Amino acid sequence: MGYVKGLKCRECGREYPKEPLYVCEYCFGPLEVIYDYSSIREKLSREIISSRAENLWRYQELLPIDGNPLVGLHSGFTPLVKADNLARELGVKELYIKDDSVSHPTLSFKDRVVSVAISKAKEFGFDTVACASTGNLANSVSAQSAQARIKCFVFIPADLELGKVVASLVYAPQVIAVEGNYDEVNRLCSEVANKYNWAFVNINIRPYYAEGSKTYAYEIVEQLGWRVPRHIIVPVAGGSLISKIWKGFHELKKLGLIDQVDARIYAAQAQGCAPVVTAIKEGSEIIKPVKPKTIAKSLAIGNPADGYYAFKTVMDSGGWGEEASDEEIVEGIKLLARTEGIFTETAGGVTVAVAKKLIEQGRIPPDELIVISITGNGLKTQEAVSSKLDKVMRIEPNLNFFEKEMKKRGGEKNGS
Amino acid sequence: MAEKETVKRMVKLIFPQNLIREPVTFQMAKKYDIVPNIRRARVTETVGELVLELEGKEDNVEKGIKYLLEKGVEVKPIVGDIVD
Ligand SMILES: Cc1ncc(COP(=O)(O)O)c(C=O)c1O
Ligand SMILES: [Zn+2]
Repeated sequence: MGYVKGLKCRECGREYPKEPLYVCEYCFGPLEVIYDYSSIREKLSREIISSRAENLWRYQELLPIDGNPLVGLHSGFTPLVKADNLARELGVKELYIKDDSVSHPTLSFKDRVVSVAISKAKEFGFDTVACASTGNLANSVSAQSAQARIKCFVFIPADLELGKVVASLVYAPQVIAVEGNYDEVNRLCSEVANKYNWAFVNINIRPYYAEGSKTYAYEIVEQLGWRVPRHIIVPVAGGSLISKIWKGFHELKKLGLIDQVDARIYAAQAQGCAPVVTAIKEGSEIIKPVKPKTIAKSLAIGNPADGYYAFKTVMDSGGWGEEASDEEIVEGIKLLARTEGIFTETAGGVTVAVAKKLIEQGRIPPDELIVISITGNGLKTQEAVSSKLDKVMRIEPNLNFFEKEMKKRGGEKNGS
Repeated sequence: MAEKETVKRMVKLIFPQNLIREPVTFQMAKKYDIVPNIRRARVTETVGELVLELEGKEDNVEKGIKYLLEKGVEVKPIVGDIVD
């Protein structure tokens, strides 16, 4: 038995039953899952949570399914890495990386939301799941629907490079390449979602799907020994992850698992697609849509569904927002790899670069606990850095050549 | 000949500063025989946002949206970008 009371409109507060609904029929506001927290409070304690298997379902009472989870039994509980080398480089005292670049099974934080979405879709009795995605989301929906034995449709823009599709196609979903611009693909998908009785993960299942992101926050708190980080930098695309991290922290407080939420949340976006950060800097609660132009494709959402809530989260927490140029993103990726041995995708390059900026600006003080969110794996966006790395040392198969090359290198390094 | 179908479309309109005080929504509605059913609005000093449903004959709604775009109003689906 689950603890979901139902859905509630984030704008007008009207309540709805737990069904595959996503928009308030009165004010067209987005719906959000609400829980019976007093019952959960009786059930959950730090000890009980800590005794459970190390995956995202250890917080099952706070996730919107009623039965047993179907997928994601190895997702979540990713490492919280104490990043002392990077801390030294950035001149801060206590720095952690929450590393979803090693998420099971598809190497991004989307495995969290999709685990919940597919488990819920099956519970609702859908026989088909669908999504529209150019990368991480498509990978995860394809992989997890294969495991859940549920039919899967993935919509992509037809001009997407083939290399990007392999990590979805291999799981044998139906991939539909739509010949049209981005807006036309969006439009078609929302028409399909309205017409077909499918679980479209980020449309009609979105309220449930999005809840999966909360586990990223729960894990950080648990891994810090039931402490909320003072500062956390979060990448923003649709704005769901950042708002759910905030919700997650507050739920833990509501349940008495932590005393207070003294966290400041910082939104990280790419310069070529920063509608939320722009709103933060301008102090405007209206998010103006933009046309994305950035190498950080996984964050290239110009009209974020939860942009306003992302903005609110940052403001309510006393945080801020910053953006990173393409060059800074690449530098961010390289910096994290060089200092911590973690290869992240462009979204991670954005959060590292933004963290660096905020520290340099003095917005984040050097002596307080900082967490940088790393949400995806660098092997998926190798083209972003491949031409920006040191050249390899090319030699003939002969020890002399090797030693000559070594001497040259040593000489270079010593400047002689 | 069959009548063109009546459709309802939920959209978000974003008005730049210079259009906030102009009755563009009203003009569009009148011109294309569209019923604008307003659900929510936010206005700041520099931008306005209107969440509403447009109801009318399918091709009229298309034309109405085009009219708004030409005027400089952004017209977006209320669910945001779906392609992730
Ligand atoms: C790697 C990665 N990080 C962060 C995000 C941002 O998440 P959200 O859309 O919830 O803001 C996404 C996807 O959108 C992503 O693929
Ligand atoms: Zn409402």
